[in-house]
Amino acid sequence: MQDPRIRLLSAFLLSLAAFVSIAGAVFVFIWWLVFTPRWHCIRHRTALCSAFVLFLIVAVVIYITGGDGLSYLVRMAVILLVGSWVFSESCTGDFISLGTWLLGNRTGFETGMIAGMAMQMATDISDDFYRIRIASRLKGHSWGIHSIVPAGRVIIDDAIRRADETAEVLAMRGYRNGGTICPHFHTSRCDIIAGCCAVVIFILAYVHVSEFFILYR
Amino acid sequence: MEVAGLKLVLSHVTAGYPRWSLAADCVFLPGIHLVSGDVGSGKSTLALMMAGLRTPESGTVIREGISQVMLSFQFPEFHVTGLTVAEECRSWGLLSDEIIRSAGIDVTGETPALSLSRGELKRLHLACVLARNYDLLLLDEPFSSLDCAEKEKICRKISSRSSGITVIFTHEQSVFPHVDHIWEILEGRLVDCGNMPGAIEHWQHAPALVKKLTLAGRTPHELTPEGIREAACRTQE
Repeated sequence: MQDPRIRLLSAFLLSLAAFVSIAGAVFVFIWWLVFTPRWHCIRHRTALCSAFVLFLIVAVVIYITGGDGLSYLVRMAVILLVGSWVFSESCTGDFISLGTWLLGNRTGFETGMIAGMAMQMATDISDDFYRIRIASRLKGHSWGIHSIVPAGRVIIDDAIRRADETAEVLAMRGYRNGGTICPHFHTSRCDIIAGCCAVVIFILAYVHVSEFFILYR
Repeated sequence: MEVAGLKLVLSHVTAGYPRWSLAADCVFLPGIHLVSGDVGSGKSTLALMMAGLRTPESGTVIREGISQVMLSFQFPEFHVTGLTVAEECRSWGLLSDEIIRSAGIDVTGETPALSLSRGELKRLHLACVLARNYDLLLLDEPFSSLDCAEKEKICRKISSRSSGITVIFTHEQSVFPHVDHIWEILEGRLVDCGNMPGAIEHWQHAPALVKKLTLAGRTPHELTPEGIREAACRTQE
């Protein structure tokens, strides 16, 4: 999907649709099968698996405490797939273009820039995690659950340091607030069809079918 | 110098990205090896494959008798797993006071490791790496971010390694440690230039001064600064 406006709107609506009911999650999964490169769009598989394991643990807890853990797991897994698709399709500048288009050169530009930086930070943190795992392995340390906290400390420290450096670079370049860009989007026919389908799925998930069609009198 | 049983074999190994490839078919025996090549020629990729951190597209890497492997990355921050200098030294199983002294940097154990400059961090990292013995030590651009005096100091430490296989991947042209064997990456292939000093005659990436001395019939017996000086001052071959 080339148009970030349709992509993000679709992801937002599909996530809500998948979260609200199991039927919504099934529709969203079908949408994911039809309109995305499916498994090829999943880039950070280890991170995705880790998130899935986290949801699995929560689902087990919900099940043990009498809730519908399976439904929770299915819905969250589908949301993960949608998130993974959005992450893989995102390009540099998407958020700043979208923000400026939506909210203008001041608020929109800044919001878009912050969102873009956050996405970049997510990629950096993932790379840092991989790097620390390799470094620990080279130092002869075993890697496991016990490594998460020490690695996390270094990653957070590094992320804060990088954020400081970015702020300094922006200040040195004279950045105060806002900016001017002329966002340009390319919308294909496939984008429009996928976006429309996402809207339909969202409506179907939130509004009961019988409210649309008079099935029985 | 040689330790019986240690052998690193690259059997018909290939690696590549689109529009770039690397092939190697060779054996590394104990001693100090120098692998030279242009920037982007695949030195780091080769080091990763030798360390077992990257799977070759074809062929196999066999580490015979090698149990302890260390790959020193070009960027020292890639090795940092501790918040402070002391924690970082401990993660290597070393005492911070000794390492700080050995690295010759003006920091304390409580200094945040990632607040060090690239040069300081490189010195700290190399002090940690060279404080321990490894069967296979792979040094990817060990001289980057270092000044000349520091490069010479590191060269002396590398030269003093008395066992194991040491492979230095570098495009450095000014300062070298004692080297037993020279390799170079030419047109996507790892080429064996041979043992020192004969290797120099086949070494296309040789520094200009070394080439000049060789052409003048005064081939250095050693690549160390002392070896180069000796060749330059030699009056008779």
